[in-house]
This record gives sequence, C-alpha cells and structure tokens, in this order.
Amino acid sequence: MTKRVFFALALMLIASSVLCAQTTSGGGASSDSRWALYIGSGFAMAIASGLCGLAQGKAVAACAEAMARNPGAGERIQNALILGLVLIESMALYTLAIVFLKVK
Amino acid sequence: MEKEIWITRIFNDYLSGPGNALLGLVGMHGQARPWANYITMELLVAAIIVVLFAVLRSRLSVEAPGKLQHCCELVYGFVRTTAGDQIGHDGPKHVAFCGTLFVFILFMNLIGTIPCFESPTMTASVPAGCAVATFLYYNLVGVLALGPLKYAAHFAGPMWWLAPLMIPIEIVSHLARLLSLTIRLWANMFAGEKVTSVFMSLVSLVVPVAFMGLHLFVSLLQAYVFMILTMVYVGGAVAHEH
Repeated sequence: MTKRVFFALALMLIASSVLCAQTTSGGGASSDSRWALYIGSGFAMAIASGLCGLAQGKAVAACAEAMARNPGAGERIQNALILGLVLIESMALYTLAIVFLKVK
Repeated sequence: MEKEIWITRIFNDYLSGPGNALLGLVGMHGQARPWANYITMELLVAAIIVVLFAVLRSRLSVEAPGKLQHCCELVYGFVRTTAGDQIGHDGPKHVAFCGTLFVFILFMNLIGTIPCFESPTMTASVPAGCAVATFLYYNLVGVLALGPLKYAAHFAGPMWWLAPLMIPIEIVSHLARLLSLTIRLWANMFAGEKVTSVFMSLVSLVVPVAFMGLHLFVSLLQAYVFMILTMVYVGGAVAHEH
C-alpha cells in the first residue's frame, strides 16, 4: 500500500507544479496616508500577544497542577503541554504574519 | 531581503542554464538569475541528509553500533513511538513520510543558524510545499484506507441530518489546516530571524545570543509540531467508525 501511496502522491505533486505557476505583486504608498495601518497593526500585535500570554499561562498552570497531582503521568502531561503551547503560540503568530504581509 | 547568499551566487553564475530549463518545465519564463535562495538551500539540505544517511547506511552494525547509529535509532524510535501513539495500530506504516518530514524540516530550520546560510523555511513557499504534501498525503491515506465513499462520509459528521451544516464546516477546517501548517512554520522561522537581526542591530554583543538560542529551541519544536500534526491528521483520516 505504501508504494501506491507514494506513486499517487508523486503524480499529484508533479501535476500541481504545472498548474500552479503564478506570480504575485504588491504595491506601496507614502507613509503619511498609511498611518492608520501602522497604528492598527501595533494594536493588533499587542492584543494578540497579550491574549496569547494569558492562554499560555492557563495552560502552564493546568500542566503544573496536573504534574503535581500525578507525577507518574508527568511525561505525557509534558508532551500535551508542549503541543498546546505551540498551538497557542501560533495564534499570535498568525497576527504577526498578517502584519508582515500588510505593512510595507 | 532577496540578497543572494554565496551558494545561490555560485548556482546562478554557473548553472543558470539548467535553472531556466527547470523553470521552463513548469511553464515559467526564464530569468537572468533563476535560482532563488530557498531553492538552493533546500537542495543543499537534501544533499546533506542524503549524505548523512548514506554514511549511516555504510556503518550499520548489529553487534557494535556506532554513535551515528545510536543517534539515528533514537530519532527513529521517537518518530515510531509518536506515530503509534497518534495513529494507533497502523502507526509504523506512516513513519516513512512523517519521519522524512521531521528530519527535512528540522535540518531546514537549523541550517539558518549557521552564519552564511539561510533557512529555506523563512520563505513562505517552502512551508507551503510541506503543508501541501501533508494535505495530499493524509487525504490519500484516508481514501486508500477507507475507500473514497466512506472517506467522504467522514465529512458529514456523526448524524446524517447534520450533514448540510457539517460539510462546509469540515471543508473549511481542512483547508484551514493547510493554511495553519504553513503559517505556523513560516511565521516562527521568519519572526525568529527578524527578532535576532533586530536585536543584533540594537545591541551587537551578548543579547542576540538569547534570541538565537530561543530560535534554535523554536526550530526543533516547530519541526516536532509539524510532524505531530501530520500524524494527528493521518490518525483522523484513517479512524474507523465505531
């Protein structure tokens, strides 16, 4: 089954490379008319980071309490913690991605 | 931002003909300097991995394993255990794809910390490519394991009368997986590099080291998370109805 999977995958990847040959372009403006964009992106990033910090704090608190209650399950709880922290972190990073895409 | 690093300069100076031929294969126009930083770095990372595994292969031994074999056995055991935890009984079948993804993304992330190299994952196309590969893989695995009709029935949710609500939601969430895999990896690598360079321009001496260390840790973590999310999606795709 693995060989069929890889063969089909390779076919699809080759087909998609032919279909997806595109280019993108962007434009800019003088800094005066885009002041709202800069201020807005600053606020957006601040709010995203703040809420991300709160959520990660909750996750770490729950993990620490669970590990204190059940030291034997420490490894599994730590794995869940790492996965959870990374997913929460990525929420703040989406905001950063939009900021980088839209600002200059 | 598009400054060429030395590898790309070598490629562009001597191999621009083959580069334009490759571009022509996918229907794009030839350019003066066709090789981009991320393409050459990806090729370099792939070459490094192939050489590493070739060296490992020649030194495999059951009685007296060397250091390289021990390290690679650790990594393999780790990937296999995680696959067993996430995907269940069929886990080891998917170690090939998920392990390759893990090693490739890990090396791509880490090579950026060496001074004259650039992480290919800093360019959005590269994480997008990995995410598209993952998307195609887990859908293909689901269709091959369950059959196309039963796999499509997955999207309808637990009860048939919820289907008109569930199917658009499921389709959007599956497309969002593509987007989130891409952006998570790309934004982490890009932000790590940007933060390090910003602090290097502010305080050149000791402070950027902390951010480089953070970037190393995040590189490892992001490769691990990409792999584990792939396994979670594959596990969700092959899950049998109970």
